Amino acid sequence: MILASGYHFQPDFIFHHLGDLGTGLLRTLAISAIGMAGALAVGVVLGALAALRVPVVRQLITVYVEVFRNTPLLVQIFFLFFALPETGLQLSGFTVGWLSLLLWGGAYNVENFRAGFEAVEGGYVEACRALGFPRMAAFRQVALPLGSRIALPSVTNILISVFKNSSFMIAISYPELTETAVNLVAVTFRVFEMFLAIGIIYLGLVWLMSLGTQAIERRFAIPGGH
Amino acid sequence: MPAWVSPVASYLAGGLRTTALLAVVSIVASVVVGILLGTLLTLPSRAVRAVVRVYVEIWRGLPIIIILFFIFFVLPIIGIRVDTFVAAAVGLSLWGSANMAEVVRGAVQSVPRGQAEAASALGFSWPSRMIHVILPQAARRALPPLIGLVVNLTQQTSLAAVIGLLDILEASQRSIERLTLAGGGGHAVPILTAVLLVFFIICLPLTLLSRWFERRLQ
Repeated sequence: MILASGYHFQPDFIFHHLGDLGTGLLRTLAISAIGMAGALAVGVVLGALAALRVPVVRQLITVYVEVFRNTPLLVQIFFLFFALPETGLQLSGFTVGWLSLLLWGGAYNVENFRAGFEAVEGGYVEACRALGFPRMAAFRQVALPLGSRIALPSVTNILISVFKNSSFMIAISYPELTETAVNLVAVTFRVFEMFLAIGIIYLGLVWLMSLGTQAIERRFAIPGGH
Repeated sequence: MPAWVSPVASYLAGGLRTTALLAVVSIVASVVVGILLGTLLTLPSRAVRAVVRVYVEIWRGLPIIIILFFIFFVLPIIGIRVDTFVAAAVGLSLWGSANMAEVVRGAVQSVPRGQAEAASALGFSWPSRMIHVILPQAARRALPPLIGLVVNLTQQTSLAAVIGLLDILEASQRSIERLTLAGGGGHAVPILTAVLLVFFIICLPLTLLSRWFERRLQ
């Protein structure tokens, strides 16, 4: 196939480099998986502490959330990779990869979980307290399961964004999928084939994830809304 | 103040102007195209919805950086030359308009069905039903996520640095490199902190505004 400017479209080129792309994809999946799991854990724990209004801790959480939500992820990545070494803390590309995704996704998920916990009707928690449950037990047994289910759609959205944003690591030359593809383009000039290939990989995985999360959301939806 | 501060600050200010221009262009294009597409998504016609749905799913599903690379590297081989600013603006607008379309669709569909049914029973045609009944109510609900998108687009402009646009982030990187070459390390912390601070000062008030609108809706 020849495109307008005499560019020969050679799809078999992609198959010759499937190995390289596969290695890149594995790195993408590794930093995404750690980043997603961490963002989920940070979100639940700090979201609960914020919703329980633990003094001082709550203010510190607010600072963390606002700083990471109101600055670009790319600049955060640059800071971790280029500025931290000046303070004596040298992090590898892999560490900056999962850590930046974890911190960024965590900040959004803290907000999502906090809002979810606070959306649980006060009457439920009060009823629990009236039955003699300690405050923590009331939270664990009532606000946590119900609030997590309310927060689920916005949380899964952020987790999918964490996966997509793993591509930002090209900025620090960490050889995940995007960086691998761009490096191959620099050597071979097969621009069209390469971007078509990784575009399909990213889109396919994002669609798979949203199908999966839709199934999870349906499974855990609170019957009759909340 | 050390001697390097003032030239670096004015260099960053130049980058910030490019960042601001890129943000404004992409936000305006995203909102205009997104409102149009989002409205099409609420049309009764299945064919129209399917076409718009494909556009939305593709540009929302791809990482923005892939969209930017795609436009910057792939358009030239089909004979369309674009500079980094245009490539970044087009890429951000594709992503932003797809997200805006979803915001509009969500807001329109959150208006209770009875409203549209009542208007249609009173003899309103589809356009006047939209203009006089649905859109004014949907606009209030769309406001918080719209501001969220503005904040998001403003932050995503920094990705243009990856394709080489001299925005505030690229300006900061070049400053750090130059100062290091001139024989002094240790400038990345103050310079990158300044960049973080600039974005923070722009984005925080918008985030707070969005939250205020959201609370007022309840």
